[in-house]
Amino acid sequence: MDILTALLQGLPGFGGMSDQGLFITGAAVMATLMFTVMALCAIVFTWMERKVAGFIQSRYGPMRTGRWHGWAQAVADMLKILGKEDIIPAEADKGLFVFAPLVVLLGSLLAWVAVPWAPGFVAADLDLGLFFIFAASSMVVIGILMAGWASNNKWALYGAARGAAQMVSYEIPLALATIPVIMHVGSLNTQDIVIAQQGGIWHWFILRDPFLFVAFWMYFIASIAETNRGPFDMPETESELVAGYHTEYTGMRFAFFFLAEYANLFLVSLIAVFVFLGGWWSPIPGLDFAPALTFVIKGILMVFLNMWVRWTLPRVRVDQLMYLCWKVMIPVTLLCIVGSGILMITSGAVG
Amino acid sequence: MSTGELKKGGWADQDHVPGIKSELLELNMGPQHPATHGVLRLLLKTDGEIVYQVTPVLGYLHRCAEKIAEGVNYKQWVVYTDRFDYLAPMCCNHAYVTAVEKLMEVEVPRRAEHLRVVTAELSRIASHLIALATFGLDMGAWTPLLYCFREREEILNLLERISGGRMLYNYMVPGGVRYDVPNDGWVESVLEFITMLENKKIKDYNDLLTYNKIFIERTADVGVIDEATAKAYGCTGPVLRGSGVKFDCRRDDSYSIYDKFDFEIPVGMGEQGTVGDCWDRYIVRVREIEQSCRIIRQALESLPDGSVQAIDLIKPVKVPVGAAYSRTESAKGELGHYIISDGGQTAFRNKVRSPSFCNLQVVEKVGVGQMVSDLVALVGSLDIVLGEIDR
Amino acid sequence: MVQYFQDIYAAVNSAMVGMGVTIKHIWKKPVTLQYPEERQIMPERFRGFVHNDMTKCDSCNICAKLCPVDCIYIESEGKGKDRMMTRYAIDYNKCIWCSLCTENCHTGSITMSHDYDHSVYDRRSLVYEFMDPREGTIPCHRATRIETGWWVEPKEEKEKNAKPAAEAKPAAETDPAAGEPSGDKGGDH
Repeated sequence: MDILTALLQGLPGFGGMSDQGLFITGAAVMATLMFTVMALCAIVFTWMERKVAGFIQSRYGPMRTGRWHGWAQAVADMLKILGKEDIIPAEADKGLFVFAPLVVLLGSLLAWVAVPWAPGFVAADLDLGLFFIFAASSMVVIGILMAGWASNNKWALYGAARGAAQMVSYEIPLALATIPVIMHVGSLNTQDIVIAQQGGIWHWFILRDPFLFVAFWMYFIASIAETNRGPFDMPETESELVAGYHTEYTGMRFAFFFLAEYANLFLVSLIAVFVFLGGWWSPIPGLDFAPALTFVIKGILMVFLNMWVRWTLPRVRVDQLMYLCWKVMIPVTLLCIVGSGILMITSGAVG
Repeated sequence: MSTGELKKGGWADQDHVPGIKSELLELNMGPQHPATHGVLRLLLKTDGEIVYQVTPVLGYLHRCAEKIAEGVNYKQWVVYTDRFDYLAPMCCNHAYVTAVEKLMEVEVPRRAEHLRVVTAELSRIASHLIALATFGLDMGAWTPLLYCFREREEILNLLERISGGRMLYNYMVPGGVRYDVPNDGWVESVLEFITMLENKKIKDYNDLLTYNKIFIERTADVGVIDEATAKAYGCTGPVLRGSGVKFDCRRDDSYSIYDKFDFEIPVGMGEQGTVGDCWDRYIVRVREIEQSCRIIRQALESLPDGSVQAIDLIKPVKVPVGAAYSRTESAKGELGHYIISDGGQTAFRNKVRSPSFCNLQVVEKVGVGQMVSDLVALVGSLDIVLGEIDR
Repeated sequence: MVQYFQDIYAAVNSAMVGMGVTIKHIWKKPVTLQYPEERQIMPERFRGFVHNDMTKCDSCNICAKLCPVDCIYIESEGKGKDRMMTRYAIDYNKCIWCSLCTENCHTGSITMSHDYDHSVYDRRSLVYEFMDPREGTIPCHRATRIETGWWVEPKEEKEKNAKPAAEAKPAAETDPAAGEPSGDKGGDH
C-alpha cells in the first residue's frame, strides 16, 4: 500500500492530491487488482484442474478452444455461464438466495488483502494479518449455510449442514497448525512471517524442526477440507447429494460459488507458501530476483498438490471426516505446538 | 467409526426437547441422481443422515421386452437380450441361446462353445470393470473410473473385431455363433490383453482403490448382507458370493463347457470387516476378473477346429412345442430364461429372471439404519443395471 | 491405541501409494484419440450405417421382414413382371444395427458400411431415402431386370437362395409405416 501510494504520487496528475484522496485511489486500484487476480486465478485454475485431471486419467482434457491445449476453454466456459438463464426456485427464500453467493465471494475476497506478494507489497499491512485471513475466510461458511437453506431443496440443505459442520470444525486445526510458526516469528503480521524465513530453504518453517514439518501437513489436510475439495468435499459430494448446497444455482450466481472455490483454493495455497514455504524467498539464498513470481509459482505448485490429492483419493464419509478432525488432527496439531515450544526453549530461542 | 453404532431409533424416536416433535425427512433419491446407476428411484425416509426406511421404485426403464418376445421370432429376440444387461451383453445372449437350444435339442459345435465362453468371459470382465469403476465413483474416486474404462475400451475393441458391434453385439445365435474368429490375430490379441490385465492393471486398481485406507473405511462393515439374508432374498452372483456362499452356475450347473476349465470361485471372507460387506462384494469382482482371465486363456489354448454353426444362419429357427428353463451365470448373477413354445415362429411366452432385480430387493432390508453415504455405497456395491431390472 | 496409530499409518501409506500411481500416469501418453483428426480404424466386421446398393436390390422385402424394429420401408407398384420399386428408405431413428438384414440378403445389396457419424439437426432427416423417384423406378422381377439391363445375381447363387426369396414374394405389399415420415433426400451414401 505504501509503495503504491508512493508510486501514485510520482505520476503526473496525482501529485497535488491530498493524502486522503491518494489513499482512496490507492485502495481502489488495489481492490481492482485483487479482484482481477482472483478472477484470473479462477480461470487459470479451472483450466489447470481439467488438464491435471486429464493427464492423471490418461486423457488430454480440453484440447479445442484456442488451439494450444484448449487454453481458452475456461474463458469460453465463463462466458457461457454468464449467458445462462438465472433461475430462482419458486419456493426459495429469494432474499437469502440472492445474497448467499455474495457472502461466499466476499469471504474469500476479503482474506486476500493480507497476502504478502513481495516485500512491502501487500494490500493491507495488518498487524493481525494471519488472524484476519482466518477470520475473513470463515465467513464463507455462513454463505454456504444460507445458500443451502434458501434453496428450499433437501439435498442442498444436507450439503449446507455438512458443509457448516465441516468448515467450522476444520478451522480449528487450520489455525492451530500455524501457531508454532507464529510462536517462532512472534508476530501475526504476514510480512514479518515471510521475512523471518530469509536465507534459503533450510530457514523455511517447514524444515525448521520436525514438529513444524508435521504441522505443515496438518495445515495442508485442513486446508483441503476448508476449501471443500476432494477427498473432503462434503458440501458437494456429487455422488451422494447431487451437487450439494449449490444444486439450485445457475448462471452468474453459480459462477460466484465457482469463483470463490478457486479463489479459496489459491488463497489457502498462498497461506501455506508464506507461512511454511518461505513466501517470496527462493530456495537458494541470493537468487531473489522476482519475489512476487517466486511466490506465485510456489502457490501454483501447492495448487497442483491439492489437485493431485483430489484426483487420487476417494471421499471420506461425513462422520469419518469429523473423527479425523477432532480425534486425529486437533491432538496432533496441539502436540506440534507443545513440541515446537519445547524445542524453542531448549535451543535457547526463547528466554 | 463403524456404522454398527448407528442403529435405528435415533433422534426422531425420542423427545429430546420437551414439546418439540421432530419428523422424518422424506427424500427422493432418483430417478435423476448421480449414484443410482440409471433411472432407479429410491424413496428414503431419513432421520438426519440416517436412513429410516428405503423403498426402491422401479419401472422407469420398462421397455416391455418380454411382451416383444411374443411378437418377434427367436433369432430377432437375441437382439433384445443384448439390451438387458447392456454392460455384459454376451452373457445375456448366452443365457437366451442356451434356453432355445435346450428346447430345440441342438448340439452346438465345440468351436462355437469355446468362442461363446471366451466372449462371455470378456464381457464379464468388461462388466466387472464398470462395477469397480462406478463403485469407486460412488466413493468419490474419479481416477479409477477412467482407468477401468480404458481397459474396457480394449475389450470393446476385441469384441468389435469378432462381432462387429461395440456395445450390443448380437453375436450368438441359436445353434452357434454368428462369426468365426477373424483372421487378423484376434486370439493373440486377446491373450496379450488378459496377460496385461492380470499382471499390470489389476495391481494399479488395488493400489489406487482396493487397499486405500479411505476406501476400506467407507466400504468395510458397511451394508452387510449376511448369508441368510442373501439366500432369503434370492441374491445371486457376486452379491451372494460376497456373503460367503460358494455358488456359481458356471460350476454348479456347468452349462456350456465350463466343466472343462479349471477355475476358482472367489467368495467374501471378511478380510477388512464383516463377511458380506461392500468391500467383500467389491473384492469378489476383482478376483473374478482374474478367474475369467484364466478361463479365457484355457478356452483359447484349447480352441478346436470346425464349424461354428449347427444350423444354417439363413433358415428361420424351428422350435418344437414345449417349455424350457435355462439359467446361466451372467456378470450380475443368475440369469434365467423360461421359454414356452407353441411350435410357431415366435415364443408363446418368454420370462426372464434377471439377477439385478433380485439383488436390488435387499436394499429395503440392509439399507435401513445406515447413513445416506452408506446407502450409496450399498447400491453401488450391488452393481445393478436398470436395463435388466425393468427389462 | 496401537490400532489408532496403525490406522493413521495405513491411511498415510495407502494415500502415498495411490498418489504414486496417479503421478506415474501424468507422464504417460494419453490413450484418447483427438476424434475428428485422429480416427480409429474400423475392423472389417464393424457395423456402421446400413447401406443398400440400389443397383443390386430387387425389392424382395426380406430385410424389411427380418428387421426386429421395422425400420426399413419398401414400396413397390405393379404385379409380377411389371413390379417396380418406388421407394426404399431406412429410418435410422429406429435402426439398432443388429445386422440381421444384411445376413439374409440374397443379392448382397444391403451391407453394413463403416460410416458411423451422421449427425443431423432434425431427427426427420435420419430417414434416408435410397431412391430418387424423379430418376424413375427400379424393376424387381428377374426377367425384367435382365431385359432392362439391371444387375442380376449369378444363377448358382440364385438357386441356393431360392427358398427365402420365394417366401417373401407374396408379402411384397406396402409397409404400413412407410407413408408417414418423409425426410429429405439422403441420396445414396
